[in-house]
Amino acid sequence: MRIRLNGSMISVAIAAAAVSAAVTLSVTQTAGQVSSRPARVEGQPNFSGIWQANNEAHWDVQAHDARAAAVLQPGAYPFEYARLPAAPVVALGAAGGVPGSLGVVQGDGQIPYTAEALAVKRENADRWIDRDPELKCYLPGIPRAMYMPYPFEITQGTDKIHMAYAFATTARTIHLDEVDPPPADTWMGHSVGRWEGDTLVVEVTNFNDKTWFDRAGNFHSDALHLVERFTLTTPDVVQYEVTIEDPQVFTRPWRIAMPLYRRVEPNMQLLEYRCTEFAEEFLYGNLRKTPRVTRWEGETMIVDITRKVPPGDRFYEWFRK
Amino acid sequence: MRTRLFTVLGVVGVIAGAAVFVTLAWVDAAGQAATGSTATSTARTGTAPRTPWGEPDLQGIWTNEFDTPLQRSVRHGTREFFTEEERAELDQERAALLGRDRRVERGTELDVAGAYSSVFMSMKRTGLRTSLIVDPPDGRIPPTTAEAQARAAADRGFRIALLQSTSTCKNGSPACAGGTYDPAPSPRRGEALSRYNTARMNRHDGPEDGSLSDRCLSGAIPEFGTAYGGSFRRIVQTPGGVTLFYDVGQGQGFQRNVVMNGSPHLPPHVRQWFGDSRGRWEGDTLVIDVTNFSPKFDFMGSRDNLHLVERWTRTGPATLEYAVTIDDPTVWTRPWTVKEEFAKQNDKENRIYYEPRCHEGNYGFPSLLLAARLADKAYAERRGPHPALMDNATDFVGVEDNPFGR
Repeated sequence: MRIRLNGSMISVAIAAAAVSAAVTLSVTQTAGQVSSRPARVEGQPNFSGIWQANNEAHWDVQAHDARAAAVLQPGAYPFEYARLPAAPVVALGAAGGVPGSLGVVQGDGQIPYTAEALAVKRENADRWIDRDPELKCYLPGIPRAMYMPYPFEITQGTDKIHMAYAFATTARTIHLDEVDPPPADTWMGHSVGRWEGDTLVVEVTNFNDKTWFDRAGNFHSDALHLVERFTLTTPDVVQYEVTIEDPQVFTRPWRIAMPLYRRVEPNMQLLEYRCTEFAEEFLYGNLRKTPRVTRWEGETMIVDITRKVPPGDRFYEWFRK
Repeated sequence: MRTRLFTVLGVVGVIAGAAVFVTLAWVDAAGQAATGSTATSTARTGTAPRTPWGEPDLQGIWTNEFDTPLQRSVRHGTREFFTEEERAELDQERAALLGRDRRVERGTELDVAGAYSSVFMSMKRTGLRTSLIVDPPDGRIPPTTAEAQARAAADRGFRIALLQSTSTCKNGSPACAGGTYDPAPSPRRGEALSRYNTARMNRHDGPEDGSLSDRCLSGAIPEFGTAYGGSFRRIVQTPGGVTLFYDVGQGQGFQRNVVMNGSPHLPPHVRQWFGDSRGRWEGDTLVIDVTNFSPKFDFMGSRDNLHLVERWTRTGPATLEYAVTIDDPTVWTRPWTVKEEFAKQNDKENRIYYEPRCHEGNYGFPSLLLAARLADKAYAERRGPHPALMDNATDFVGVEDNPFGR
């Protein structure tokens, strides 16, 4: 099957993500916003507020060079490092590139995939557009939701800590009290928390195998088990660390770590990013009576893309895997 | 496709990851938007729990454990409460409806749409109140403005035109009320709507022709529940902050963010599906003012001018009173108020379908579009009828007999 994509739709989504990744963190605070938030809730450090990662982990949790685009095609040279943006992102120009990063994977920086899993990861990266659940606006899962280029809000009660994410207007509740497990596997996991001194430790289980870690194809199975650790290092910075275990995909546990920053703008609030609607052209555009596919006309740039979806990667086939 | 049935406190039928083909019609207020309320006319807060930091404690999972008609039947006049006999009678009548597998004429499109039979619907005990609406005193939605009536009539006219050459109109189905059968496809089939479409129509040229529920975009406030699933909300509080997460029918739940710092509403050009919620404490009541709604959403004809004032009051160890005043001078001739009493649900059991994933499993919607393209192709190749002769829009779920609507 051929899915025809309107390039400008992708452009908008990627450009928006790129812009929001480049958030400037203001150092000014207004008394009004901060005075209402005590440093502690019931004796525990207060994590309430709006937070956001400010790094490149959403592109690739591992160290990587900057590159021209998330999907590339052969260029004038045969070298891997000189490839060009592939058709779906060429219209974005330099805004479609992937910034370089030292990565957030701790230790040797490697994700300890089994040999079979590594092959799947590479294939995922090649077929990013077809396979990444983010592009379809599916629930992002944990830990990915924590470092996507969108803010999230923590509301810390006594028995529950609620985390609301702008992306897909989704959320998770961290249970500090006794709670039954969910009746079925989940995209966002089942989060049970406890305090270890001033560190909030959260065990996340009951995942499905549909979510990814980033846009580079890093993935897991439904055996994923996370231990997250949240520690306030200053009133406006949380050190966030996750130990990731999944014996079906990784040969040993591995760890990511990064700071999360408070969005200190005085008028900061969590706005919706209800992307279900934004992904419709991507998912269903080929089913329009009059497809909105365009092309170059004179000096008017119109992107006409033919993107062949490899067998097995139609969106519903992907879901069944 | 994975479909899981999830039982929530005896409320059957939250369908996870399944294609959603049921139109959750707000417009049919008489029959459908029915959730219950026990009798609490004024908030009592004497025994209400408080958070350790001294605010009224609204936290927990809350739902209305009764079914109550949104509007009061005219025969009850201004009488606020059912008698016990009336409740028992209504329970009996409504229970009888649940077991029924209604069919329409075999072989018609309507009969196929009846795949969603009453088996998928839930029923709770009839509540004490004769209506959720407590103001106006007759328990009825106020008359709509001439402007709103004209908009609704124009919209209805267009939708009927799309059905005019189908068996639905030919057979005089209630879905064609106000229209007449005409074997010739309507020339209006190519028309663009003057407002963003939110409801099912008998045209499937692209995603925008779908209803918001088919597109997994139907979650909205105000939220009074439907016959097709639960209506739960989880509240978590922190000093100076509150958050609300909704679980509503068929995996269309949503997160709602409330700003509590006293700042004014968003600029008028910033619009959101769930509006802009600004909360404050008035004594022991959390008051949330909601504006800035999106023009892509619809509540009984009201869109970007909708203004809600919600009042959340903890009234006892296991009760929370919710009152919402609904105003839009472009739609209704006066504001109106709905009141519900929520019951606290067990935290350990955690029976809230906290992960709305309608979209993740939505094969139904692309299948609907694909079927329309195949029908176009078949017609073009002279293998099939003109697509306008088929009704691929009308639900038949058997709710028209709901005694709440009488």
